[in-house]
Amino acid sequence: MSSFPEIRDKVRAAETLSFEDGVALYQHPNLMELGALANEVRERLHGDRTYFNRNLHINATNVCEASCRFCSFARLQPGDPAAYTMTLEEAWGKLRARVAAADPITEIHIVNGLHPGLSFDYYTDLLAGLKRIQPSIHLKAFTAVEIFYFAKKFGMSIEAVLQALRAAGLDSLPGGGAEIFAPRVRKKICDDKSDADEWLEVHRVAHRMGLRSNCTMLYGHIETAEERVDHMLRLRALQDETGGFQTFIPLAFHPDNNALMKLPGPTGVEDLRTYAVARLLLNNIPHLKAYWIMLGIKTAQTALWFGADDLDGTVQEERIYHMAGAATPQVMHPTEIIRLIQNAGRTPVERDTLYNVVAEGAALIPDKPFRRDVRRSLEVVS
Amino acid sequence: MSVEARSLPMPEPALESLATLDLFALGRQASSARDGQLGRRGTFVRARQLLPSGGWRGPRDAAESTVDEADLAAVGGLPALRAAGIDLLVAPADSPHARAAAEAGLRLLLRVPFGVGEDDRERLHRLAAIDQASFGVWGVMPAPTGEPYGLDTLRFFALCRLALPRVPHLLADVGALGPRLAQMAFGFGADELFAPIVAERALRIGANAHNPALTRKEAATLIRGAGLVPCERFAEGTIEEVSA
Repeated sequence: MSSFPEIRDKVRAAETLSFEDGVALYQHPNLMELGALANEVRERLHGDRTYFNRNLHINATNVCEASCRFCSFARLQPGDPAAYTMTLEEAWGKLRARVAAADPITEIHIVNGLHPGLSFDYYTDLLAGLKRIQPSIHLKAFTAVEIFYFAKKFGMSIEAVLQALRAAGLDSLPGGGAEIFAPRVRKKICDDKSDADEWLEVHRVAHRMGLRSNCTMLYGHIETAEERVDHMLRLRALQDETGGFQTFIPLAFHPDNNALMKLPGPTGVEDLRTYAVARLLLNNIPHLKAYWIMLGIKTAQTALWFGADDLDGTVQEERIYHMAGAATPQVMHPTEIIRLIQNAGRTPVERDTLYNVVAEGAALIPDKPFRRDVRRSLEVVS
Repeated sequence: MSVEARSLPMPEPALESLATLDLFALGRQASSARDGQLGRRGTFVRARQLLPSGGWRGPRDAAESTVDEADLAAVGGLPALRAAGIDLLVAPADSPHARAAAEAGLRLLLRVPFGVGEDDRERLHRLAAIDQASFGVWGVMPAPTGEPYGLDTLRFFALCRLALPRVPHLLADVGALGPRLAQMAFGFGADELFAPIVAERALRIGANAHNPALTRKEAATLIRGAGLVPCERFAEGTIEEVSA
C-alpha cells in the first residue's frame, strides 16, 4: 500500500495515481493532510477561481420503467400517486417564465424518468421548442441512461439518437445515471437500467461527435472505497481516450423516501474525503463540482477547499433530490452564490455550460447590499 | 461576566496571528491543541434538560442534567438547581449568572455567538475575555447567528480551541450546525457532540427533517468517522470508549 508521502510526491510531480493510491487515500486518517493536498491541485488548476452558472432544471416526467432502489423521484406507472408528465407547453412555460422575468439564465438541465409511453418526438419537440423561445440557451439534456433507453426503445443506434437530439437543439449531456459502476453494486441498486459499459459507451459516442458531457458518482450507500476508486478510474480511462468530460460531480446519497432509507447516508467528513480523493485521482478532468443541492450549502462551501472549484448554479425547481429528502432550497440567488464563494476566500466566476466566462470581477459585484434575512429565508441542512 | 470587546485588552500578538492562518493550518493546530489536552477522543453524553414547567426533556437515566439560563427564573433560580440535581448551566457568553453559578458548583457551558459580520480580530477579543474570566468555564459552544457558512464555522471552532487554553471543552451543536458540519468540527478542535441522544433513530423527513437527535451508534459513527475514538461520558466525569 502506498504511503501518503509517496502519493504526495507523485501528485506534486503531476504523476497519475494508481488504484492502490486511491484506496490508500480513502484510508488515510488525516483529513487535513488529504484536503491540503487536494487543494494544492485545485489551486494549481484554477487558482482561487470558483465557477457557477445561472440555470434552470426541468424534470419533465418522473414516470420511469427502472426501479432503482436509491431513487425517490421515479413512479413506475403514469397513474401512480405523485406521478407526473409535463405537457410540452408546461415544460416550455418554465423557460418562458424565466424570460419574462428577465432572468439571464444560460443553461437548461433536463433529466427525466424512463417513460414507456412517450414518443421520441416528445423529446425532440421539447428541445426544439425551448430553442425557439431562447435560441442562445444551452440545452444540457438526457443522461446516458436515457439516451441508451431511447436507442433500445426506438430501435436506433446511440449515434442516431444523439444526432436527432442534436438537430433538435441538444448541446451537451449531463453526467447522471453513472451511480457506481461495480456490477456487485449495480445488481443490488439499479439492475434494470444500462450497465457501466453501456453508460460509458454513450459518453464515448457523444464525445466522438464533439459533444461535451459531465460525469457523476453516487456515493454513500452500499459501495466500498475500492468500488469508488474503480468507478473514478473507469471515468479517467475514458477521459484519456476522448477528453470529453468537463466536470466530475460526486453525488451524496440521500436516504429518505426510497428503498434504502435504513442506510444513514454519507457523513460530512466522508463528503470532504470523497471530494479530495476525486480531485487527486481524476487529474485529467478539469473541474470538480460541489453540487449544493445534494451536499447542502455548508458542506458544498467547505468542499471548495477540498478540491472543488464549481458550485453548480442557481438551479430552480430541482425535484429529483428534494423527493429524496434534500432540504436545500429549490433556488439560490446569484448574489448568495457569490457571497458564499467570497466568504470561502475564493473568487467567483460566472460561467456558461462550457466554462466560457460570462462575468467576473467588477461585473459580478451585487448591485444591492447583501442582507442576512435573505440567507435566513433559505432552508438549509448539511 | 461581559464579553464587550470595547472594554477588553487587545489579544496577544501571537493570538492575533491566528487570524492569518489558512484553513488547514488552523485545523491542524486546533486538533493538536485538543489532542494535547484531552487525547484523540470525541465524546457524547446522554443528557436531560430541566424545562420551565419543572418537567424534564431527555432520558430518566441521563448521565447529566442541564438547565438553560433562559429558564433559570422559571425553575427557581440558581439556589434551586443543586437540589434538582442539575450539573450544568448552559448560558450565553455574557451571562450575568455565570460567576454565581460557578461559585455554586455548577459546570458552565457558554454559547459563543458568531456570524454577525464580526472579523477574526473581534472574535479573538471576545474569546480572550472568556479565557481571562476569574471563574472556571467547563466548555464553550459556538452558536451561529442565522444560518452559518461552513468554512466560517470551522475557522471559528479552531479559533475557540486555540484562544481558550483554559477552557477544556469545545462542543459542536448538532441542532445549530447539522450533523455534517458538527462532525467536521472535530477536525477543527471540537471534542464533544451536543445533541439529544435517543434510543431509536428518527427518520429525518417531513416535520422531523431537522431533528438533531442521534442514537449512540450514530454519535459514535460521526466521531469515529472524524478520526477520533468515540467515548460516552457518564456522571462523575467517567468516560468509556464505545466499541465499533
